[in-house]
Amino acid sequence: MTDRLDLPQGTLDLLILKALSLGPQHGWAISERIHQVSLATLQIPQGSLYPALHRLERQGLIGAEWGTSDNNRRAKYYELTRAGRKQLGADTEAWDRLTAAVALVLKMA
Amino acid sequence: MFSDLRFRLRAVFRRVDMERDLDDELRFHIERETEKCMRDGTSRREAERRARLAFGGMTRIKDDTRDSRGTVMFETLRQDVRYALRGLRMTPGFTAAIVLTLGLGIGTNAAMFDILDRLMFRPAKYLSVPERVHRVFVTYLSDGRRHTESSQSYARFVDFARMTSSFDLVEAVGHRRLAVGSRDEAKEMIIATVSGGFFRFFDARPAQGRFLTPDDDRPPSGSPVAVLGRAFWQLRYGGANVINKKIRIGNVVHTIVGVVPKGFAGISEEGEPAAYIPVTAFAASSVPNYVHDYGWTWMDVIVRRRAGVSREAADADLSRVYAQSWELEGKAGSGYPSAASSHTSSVAAPLLSARGPEADETGGVATWVMGVAVIVLLVACANVTNLLLARAVKRRREIALRLALGVTRRRLFQQLLTESLLLAVFGGVIGMLVAQLGAGIVRRLFLQADGATAVATDVRTMLFVAVTTVSVALLTGLAPALHSLNGDVADALKAGSREGAYRRSGVRTALLLFQGAFSVVLLVGAGLFVRSLSNVRSQRMGYDVSPIVYADGVARGVKPTRAEVQSLSERLVAAALSVPHVENATLTISVPFWSSEGRGAPKVPGVDSLRTLGSFRLQAGSPSYFKTMGTRILHGRAFNEADRATTAPVVLVNEAMAKAIWPRKDAVGQVMRIGSDTNPYMTVIGVAENTRAQHITGKDEFWYYLPVSQFSARFGQAGPNLFLRVNGRAEDALEPIRKRLQQEMPGDSYVNTVTLASLVSPRQRSWEFGAKMFVGFGVLALVLAAIGLYSVVSYMVAQRNHELGIRIALGAGVGDMLRMIVIQGVGFAAAGIAIGSVIALWAGRKIEPLLFSQKANDPSIYGLVAAMLLLVAILATLRPALRAARVDPMVALRSD
Repeated sequence: MTDRLDLPQGTLDLLILKALSLGPQHGWAISERIHQVSLATLQIPQGSLYPALHRLERQGLIGAEWGTSDNNRRAKYYELTRAGRKQLGADTEAWDRLTAAVALVLKMA
Repeated sequence: MFSDLRFRLRAVFRRVDMERDLDDELRFHIERETEKCMRDGTSRREAERRARLAFGGMTRIKDDTRDSRGTVMFETLRQDVRYALRGLRMTPGFTAAIVLTLGLGIGTNAAMFDILDRLMFRPAKYLSVPERVHRVFVTYLSDGRRHTESSQSYARFVDFARMTSSFDLVEAVGHRRLAVGSRDEAKEMIIATVSGGFFRFFDARPAQGRFLTPDDDRPPSGSPVAVLGRAFWQLRYGGANVINKKIRIGNVVHTIVGVVPKGFAGISEEGEPAAYIPVTAFAASSVPNYVHDYGWTWMDVIVRRRAGVSREAADADLSRVYAQSWELEGKAGSGYPSAASSHTSSVAAPLLSARGPEADETGGVATWVMGVAVIVLLVACANVTNLLLARAVKRRREIALRLALGVTRRRLFQQLLTESLLLAVFGGVIGMLVAQLGAGIVRRLFLQADGATAVATDVRTMLFVAVTTVSVALLTGLAPALHSLNGDVADALKAGSREGAYRRSGVRTALLLFQGAFSVVLLVGAGLFVRSLSNVRSQRMGYDVSPIVYADGVARGVKPTRAEVQSLSERLVAAALSVPHVENATLTISVPFWSSEGRGAPKVPGVDSLRTLGSFRLQAGSPSYFKTMGTRILHGRAFNEADRATTAPVVLVNEAMAKAIWPRKDAVGQVMRIGSDTNPYMTVIGVAENTRAQHITGKDEFWYYLPVSQFSARFGQAGPNLFLRVNGRAEDALEPIRKRLQQEMPGDSYVNTVTLASLVSPRQRSWEFGAKMFVGFGVLALVLAAIGLYSVVSYMVAQRNHELGIRIALGAGVGDMLRMIVIQGVGFAAAGIAIGSVIALWAGRKIEPLLFSQKANDPSIYGLVAAMLLLVAILATLRPALRAARVDPMVALRSD
């Protein structure tokens, strides 16, 4: 458990948007994807995903639709909206600049 | 932004669906996670446990998710509203009392606001940049008196337009009553005579055709074109295409070129004009040399300041030009003193005449009445606060319990305020209805303009009601809400609902007394004004009023000779007598409160300086005059058919005049002379009763009467004007008489008919107004006081249930209980009467000059008001008293 990191404030939204950039997904799959892609480093309390999803939906960054999952059950699928895609681009760039700057300071100072 | 709102609203209104969806969504997640865990052989139970552990606290996550929908605010509001509604439904009497109280209070204020706003503040519809539009007033000194007037001549208007530099628009507007239509259809209507650029003041587009332009208004004679008023167009033409149709207005046939849009009234304050015509076209048809005439002042000059020009600069500009124009007028030969010695000045005053320098008392009276209305609203609020306070006391334990259970004070406070807001909103709705009904009545009293009022759809009035409603909610809700939340929770919980509940509240008692006293003051005022009104109405005027019709023949397009007028007059009298219900008819030269003929003070041999006695007015009529008017002859005889132009001159005087000139002698047989000294002496043949035809109060008027044949032989033919005596309603006879007389009129001449009552009643308006206002507000205050008393006593009874139970258990009978409660109510009323009477006696001295033969301290009125208030107090307490008498001691003592 020690090799797992808690998520800095506000980055969950960015990760959700990124996870959805490949195509519509339901909540559990989003949490799984983040978990796997981060090589199990990032630990999201699974429950905290849902308030974030509903907030993003309210903000119009993602849309939601009820569909049938691969094992034939009713599931709520989320997908990026156009605004969400734009937001993802902007946030990714901001994140890159931030981490680069922080890395630079840590290295130089 | 929009998707956000939609999402939130969906979350609010489809709450059940959303809740189910959320359950489904989270369950799906857990199930997938469980399946995943089961893949490495874990048992289902263990897998499910792990899945839930990984997920976190379900309830908290649900809460967080709901919060993130952003609906918490709506949710709590929804809850509060539902909670409040449930509470209000449970106490229908309480709710109805509050809603009705607030409704009456808000309604009267809305109605008064509507009037005051129209009178003093609301700019004319369609007017662009109203803050820069002004009415020009001029001031000068003449005969040692300052004269201020807005009426200007055409020549003055041209000077202002030509020589000022502060304005981008300088236009002339006059409103006149002119005959519209020809022959049988001819009817006088308000016509706006406007200069060519007048319509540039407005952001409006014509409903049909075009507006007037400067090209239509070139001196000397302009073009005979007209733009119709919208209401008149609907009435006369049913909204059909009227462009290029002809219509006769005044002496001229005009071509219709357009129709104004809906609601457009120009700057008229007496309703929509029937038509707008060029000033030059009208002036040319009335006064041939009007262009250079400074004497004929008949229109107002309206200006619009250029952007950036201050009021002071505009006034200076106007004053400078007025002085120059004054000198030009002197050169034109009027022989006036110079501008400097006449101290001329001119100002750009507000457009609304009620705010200009020439304003009459209407605006002031309206403001005063608005003040009374606000006090009535405050009384209503006091009432409601009282009720809510009483309930807050009752609810202390409930609230303490909820506080103990962990509800935040903030949340409770919100809930209590929601309740009073809800009550105020209901009150506001009722208020709009009251205002819609009330405004029509008050408007007729104040603005003397009828026509539909749409208070409920007027944006400004709606806004006023909305603001008032919210203020009322805060005013009435704040104190009770704070009161409920203060205090120690533990104490309140320990005490039963009866303890601490029935405590005589000083504030509440004071409020009740204030209401009672206020009702007494208003009702005494009502009594005084109603008496005054009935006194003034029953006052003998020296003639009958209600059965008399006045018919006025106006020559148009013809200049009849003296002989023609005489024969026309005779034909009109004969024609009038042929109309059904007309009993009698007479020619006349003076009309009460309208126009009066004077020939200076008569000369009487042996009596000097009659002039110092006062002014003498003269009436001349047919032999049937006294019979027609119902004027009584006290002494001597009336003139008759034998008194002709050629026979010995005769005269009658009224009693006041007879006593003033011949105090110790019989007036009959005396002689007097009017006009030049070559005129023959007239012999007094009779004394008529006293007359009121100029002023309804004050000194007796001096009137004398001549046969019209002798008057016109010496002073020229006037008229033709007639009085007709009708049996039945005078209003109903107006049209038949007008139609019949119209047939006799030559060319385009026409006849107007009005009832004499419509000329006299405006003079009684101030008493009528006072009576109606005081009665209205007095009854309102009484109703409010009754509601207040009823509700407070009701609550008192409810709170004292326990105590009353003990009394009954100890043997108090129904009569004892009734007496005990009712006496309390009567006690309140008696104290209110005492305080109110003192105030009324003090205030009465101030309003006594406004009354009509009525003492302000009339004991019969005070007695009546006191009796009324006591009766209302008994009625208001009877129901709660009966409830008290029916208290079952067993139930009362066991409960709580």
